[in-house]
Amino acid sequence: MASEEAKEYVLPPEVLEETMKASEELWKPVRKIKFRIYKYNPRKDYAPYWEEHELEVSRGMTVLDALLIIKGEADHSLGLRYSCRMGLCGSCAMMINGKQMLACQTRVLEAAGSGDVVELRPLDNFPVERDLAADFTSFFEKHRAVKPWIIRNDDVELNNPTGPYKQTVDEYARYYQFTDCIKCGACLSACPTAATDYEYLGPQALAQAYRYIVDTRDDGLDVRIPVVDTEHGCWRCHFAASCSDVCPRGVDPAQGIQLLKKLLIKRKFGFKPHKPAEALPAKVKAEKKE
Amino acid sequence: MRESTIMFLHYVTAILIVITGLIHLLANNDPVIGATIKANPVLYLGNMAIFLAALLYHAFNGVRVILIEMVPDRCWTKWISWAILIVGIVTYAVGLQVLMVALGFA
Repeated sequence: MASEEAKEYVLPPEVLEETMKASEELWKPVRKIKFRIYKYNPRKDYAPYWEEHELEVSRGMTVLDALLIIKGEADHSLGLRYSCRMGLCGSCAMMINGKQMLACQTRVLEAAGSGDVVELRPLDNFPVERDLAADFTSFFEKHRAVKPWIIRNDDVELNNPTGPYKQTVDEYARYYQFTDCIKCGACLSACPTAATDYEYLGPQALAQAYRYIVDTRDDGLDVRIPVVDTEHGCWRCHFAASCSDVCPRGVDPAQGIQLLKKLLIKRKFGFKPHKPAEALPAKVKAEKKE
Repeated sequence: MRESTIMFLHYVTAILIVITGLIHLLANNDPVIGATIKANPVLYLGNMAIFLAALLYHAFNGVRVILIEMVPDRCWTKWISWAILIVGIVTYAVGLQVLMVALGFA
């Protein structure tokens, strides 16, 4: 009986064959692509140089797949950073034909277009760690500077929580998109201000500052003001919006920075970013009393 | 002064430039309205003083922003801001004196 039921879920042979064919088609080499890879080891090399490798690529091959083949077969010394291979960790962000992209999410043929060369180099506006790996030290320092965590003033509730904090869907929607940031550094790399002003906090840190400031559970606006409201803070954003253009997760840091500016101006006239969230049980008790 | 205050004034002066600049243009180009405006020299001088102040603040703050982006070192940022402020005040004093002489107040 069970085997009869299972038979219902078996694909018909012709469909199975078609699926297999489509899969084979996807991974069949279709074109030769030349990879022009930036090579530089600051501890060893006097100056950066380019290395070229040719590879037969299939329709489904990503830039990261190609790089791992090159590293395994042609150049074992190639330095690159990667982890999840599915666009979630942000480790493999690099310049692919001059644009900030995730190597694991970009297909080689998509990057090459009608040409036959794919140029790979580390992210702009970052020091080079080695070859395609950029140094994120300053990037994470800036991220930490905006205190990217929930700051609260009610020590009593913090130490003896009575329940979760209430938050409406609208309140959540105000900051939801910014929680999608994977810290890949593409936005800072694309930012024209960051190209000259290395002290500038950058789109990632500022968007995260906004994300926490508008969170109703957070009371940290006054703590973050000395960080974001400075000569190299949110006011240095000239709204080129290239950060939003290159974000692989579809986050809009440029919008976050503009909203942060608006929030700081409104604060001068006594407006608060939000009403403080209250713990749910307290609210329920108050309603019962009424 | 916080950067938000400086930039807020930057936006306010932009609006002031449009308003006072329009009055200045009308005063010098429209014979009917120009005569009405210039009939009260104190008000006209006041408008010109505000126009000059807004224009200089907006322009010098723009220069300050460019400079602190080009030379982002925190120590230089402070020096650049002070230097621009001093140059701005001196320029405004000279400009105001020229205006007063031109309008017959000095």
